[in-house]
Formats: sequence, structure tokens, C-alpha cells
Amino acid sequence: MNKPIRIALTKGRLEKDTVGLLEKLGFDCTAVRDKGRKLILPVPDANLEVVLAKANDVITYVEHGVCDLGVVGKDTIMEMHGKFYELVDLGFGKCKFALATKKGYDFYSGYGIKTIATKYPNVSRRFFEKKGMDTEIIKIEGSVELAPLLELADGIVDIVETGTTLRENGLEVIEDVAPISARLIANTVSLKMRHAEIDGLIKLIEENL
Amino acid sequence: MRNYDLITPEGTKDLLFGECIVRRDIENTLLSLFKSRGYCEMITPGLEFFDVFNLNSQYFPQENLYKLTDSKGRLLVMRPDSTMPIARVVATRLRDAVLPLKLCYDQTVYRTEPALKGRSDEIVQTGIELIGSQLKMADLEVISTAVDSLRAFGMEFSLEIGHIGIFKELVGRLEASDRDKERIRKLIENKNFPALNDMLDSLGDNQITAALKKLPSLFGGEEVFEKAEALMHDESIKRILDELKDIYTDACEICGNDGSITVDLGLVNKTDYYTGLIIKGYLQGHGEEVISGGRYDKLISEFGYDIPAVGFAVNVNGIAKVIEKKGVLPAIPRPDVIVYAETGCEVAALKAAQELREQGIIVENALFDDLESVREYAMEKKIAKVVVIDDEVKGGQEE
Repeated sequence: MNKPIRIALTKGRLEKDTVGLLEKLGFDCTAVRDKGRKLILPVPDANLEVVLAKANDVITYVEHGVCDLGVVGKDTIMEMHGKFYELVDLGFGKCKFALATKKGYDFYSGYGIKTIATKYPNVSRRFFEKKGMDTEIIKIEGSVELAPLLELADGIVDIVETGTTLRENGLEVIEDVAPISARLIANTVSLKMRHAEIDGLIKLIEENL
Repeated sequence: MRNYDLITPEGTKDLLFGECIVRRDIENTLLSLFKSRGYCEMITPGLEFFDVFNLNSQYFPQENLYKLTDSKGRLLVMRPDSTMPIARVVATRLRDAVLPLKLCYDQTVYRTEPALKGRSDEIVQTGIELIGSQLKMADLEVISTAVDSLRAFGMEFSLEIGHIGIFKELVGRLEASDRDKERIRKLIENKNFPALNDMLDSLGDNQITAALKKLPSLFGGEEVFEKAEALMHDESIKRILDELKDIYTDACEICGNDGSITVDLGLVNKTDYYTGLIIKGYLQGHGEEVISGGRYDKLISEFGYDIPAVGFAVNVNGIAKVIEKKGVLPAIPRPDVIVYAETGCEVAALKAAQELREQGIIVENALFDDLESVREYAMEKKIAKVVVIDDEVKGGQEE
């Protein structure tokens, strides 16, 4: 048998959803379910090897070709970019990028340059560039919602799922930036060198979405 | 101020011993392969005027170039590519040369890569340019040279061909803004099917959008041509497909039909100056292409000499990485003999060492005061023989 196809999964919810999908395809994911602290796990009947990684690292491993495939959110792809193929929208992990401000704040008024707090500086910069708006972007690592409350920023660009955190902190979405969902990505060489195997897997996935 | 005197810049590294042997072996293998096919080597300057790379078509975004200024304040760049400087030379000094010109090179290119990504800003490229022929034979000549280059390293490889003309013809018939066309190109390049479908749906449902949607999936073996023919009915596209299929069939035959030649009609990279055939070479175990090339019939005319050309570059760093990953670093040649001179016999020892070298062995001159240290050193460095030159012996030997 060929060496297994290595697929990097974003730890957490996307990992669980992907494992669910693989099981739906009829593959035995026991090893992944009972993983303990292991980070590389076999799915023998699919000739797959699952690698668990943080979102950004999924892209890095796939780009370098040490993983053939990856499952990662569109949010990470939009922020990081890189050279890989983005093959399938897996449909799960749905949420969106949105611009939010303090409730009732008139974000687009006045001529002063607005300050945006975000974990996604590249996404934010592109969004405002498209509008021809000059903004000051401040990178925040933790709860971005704090920045407008502490009056560090006029608004935030962040991932919004239900909007509960925003509401509870007196913030509201004033504009959607982009929809987000999980994507299946592939290394550019792997897709070519292991075309038949990867293609077979993709067809199976697409039939079961 | 911080001092950076003990490290090298991001994206660069020092190569030592075995790494150098691997590197030089690859370069020599490729250069002698090219020369055996009649290619002549040329070397262009590491520094070029920015203008050489800032032609109308802007193949290299300025943010990816290393820039500096000359003594007159003019903007220079560290060459990011060898083909454009060679095009410059062909359009100037080689303008009256007999065609076709067969040129090869082996030199470093510099591009700024994003930090902390494990990428190299300094890449050795060894490649060929075949200038002045539009014949199919020229394309085949370049393809078979590329196949030989990949084969030379004894690893599983695949050579992929494509043709930028198909995308250009399709997108040329599409009613869309240049910005949208560029977006479509990018989505096809990234094989981003979900976004490509959405984008093309918004531009209407017709033969062209249907073909563009399928373009990134049209890769693989011979079946690709059947699928493409079923999708694209335009005369000029059919002609390109026939041409490419013809080349594909011959290329397969060159490789003994072992499946190592593939085709991808979705090769549509932006920084390419390619106008026709595109080739990419892959080695099992390396995440990026190790060969990149194609036909560029319009590039040299941007330097004022309208003449077709085709060529490719091999990424020597990439091949070295695969070889090193396989753990087959070559043995570093060590001296066979060390020659030790007693005081007053230095000249005799140097002569004796030279005589030994003329027999084809590696001989080192000992740089110690006493024989004991020489023995210790020889032991440490695994040098088999110590030769002592003193007044009496002038050539005695010991183990």
C-alpha cells in the first residue's frame, strides 16, 4: 500500500466536524476519537494520517507539502494567504467576518481616520482599502470587544457566530465583511503527484456534503 | 543599537561541507547535461537596473525585490530572475547572433519572501533558454531537456505541461472588467472551485463561463484533452488543444509512456511572462515545483527585439532539500596523507606533498610543532597516513 495521505485538521470544532464527515464516509476514526495527547493519528481504512494543528499551522504544513491536505477556516485563509489549492467548501464551521461598533455609534461620520482593533489585520486592511478608506489598524490578541469599550478603537473586525458576546457588551454589527466556512485545501504538488487518491477522496466528500 | 554581526539575514544561510557538495553536484550535473545538448553558458550581473524588471507588464511586484542605489543614485535590484536579464542581453549584444541561440545559466536569484515561513530569499537557478525558434521541435527539445534534468536525480518525478493560450482565449471572450478577469485568473490558479463558481455564476451561464469553471479541474493524463474538447468548441482554442495534445503525446513517448508526463490546463500564474506552452516539474517529497518554465514569445520584444523563445529554470535549492531530506549526504573527501616537516625541512616537505598530490591523492601539510600533535590530529580527522620529512629520511613513512 502507498504511504498514507496526510491531512492536517484545525484542532477543535473543525476537527470534530471533519471526523464526523470521515465517519459518514464510512471510515473508522476510532484512533482519532481516542487520541489522548497524540498529534498524528491513523485512519487506516482510508489510508489517511490525521495531523492535529492550530489553524495557521495547517496552512504552513500544507504549503510546505509535509501534509498533503488540510481542513481550515476561510478566516485563516483570508488572513494568511499562501500557495495552495482551495478545493472544497465543506459547508460546516459557518460564521462571518463583520465590522462592529458600540451600539448607536455612527462609524462612517466625520473625516477623522478611524481606528480598528482586530485579530485579522490583513482582512481588515483589505476591507477598508476596497472602500478607499484610510484606517489605523491595531492588532489585538485576546477579546477584541474590549478595544471599543476602552475607547482604544472606533470599531472591530472580528468573527461573529451568534453575536451574543457583542450584544452582552453593548456592541452591534454594522456591516458584514465576508462569510466564513471550513475549506479543504491541498498542497499544489501533492494534488498532482497523488491525483487519483486525492481525487477519489474529494469525490466521496462532495457526494456526502 | 543592536548588533547583527553573528547571524545572517532572514531567508539566507551558510552552507557547509556536505551541503556544498550536494549543491555543486546538482549544478554540475545540470550544466553538463545542458552543455552536452549544445547550450552555452552565460553569466549576468547580480545587480541590474530596476528598469529591466519594471517593464510595462510588471512581472515582478516591486515589494518582492531587493533594492539599492548606485553611486549616481539610480535604483538597482538584486536580480530576481535570470530570464529577463538574458532577454536584455539577447536584444542588445546578441542581436546579430546566428539563430537559434541556445543559452544556459547557473546563478542565484533574490526575492523577498514573507518572514518566518521557512522560505529562502536566495535561490540558485540552473536553466536554459532556447531563443529564436517557434517550432514544435523547440518545445519538445526543451521538454526532453527538462525530463532529463529531473531524471538525473534518480527520484520519482512528474513533468506537467499546460498552455496559457486557452485561458487567454476564454477570458478574452468574457464580458467582464479587467479586475474581474484578474480575480478569475487568481481563482483558477488556486483551484478555488467554490469561489470560482460563485464568481462565474454572477457573469452568466454560457459556454465560456462553463469552460472557465472546469478549467482548474482539467488536469491529469490524456483524458484531459477529451474533457476539454467536449467543453470548448471555439476554433482557435481547438487549435491550441491539438497543438498541446500533439506535444503531450510526443513527450509521453520520450518518457516511455510511464505516466510521468501530465497536463494541467489550469496553470495560469500571474508572474509568468509565458505566452504559450508552460512546464512545471515536480519531485516526490518536495512541496513545490522544482522546474518552472515555458514559452515567452513577447518578452524579448519588450527590450526591442521581436523574437520567440522558450526555456526553463531548475530550482537547485529545492532539489538539494529533497536529497538532504533523504539522508544521503555525500561523504566529505578527507585527506589521504598528512605531511609533517621537521624544523629546517619545510621546503622539502612542501615538495614531497606536491609530488604525492600529483599521484592523485589528497595531501595536507601538517601545521604543528611536534609529531605527537600531528598524530593526534590525524587520528581525530581520520587521515590514514602521516609522512615525516626530516634531514635523514626526506621521505620516511608511518601509519
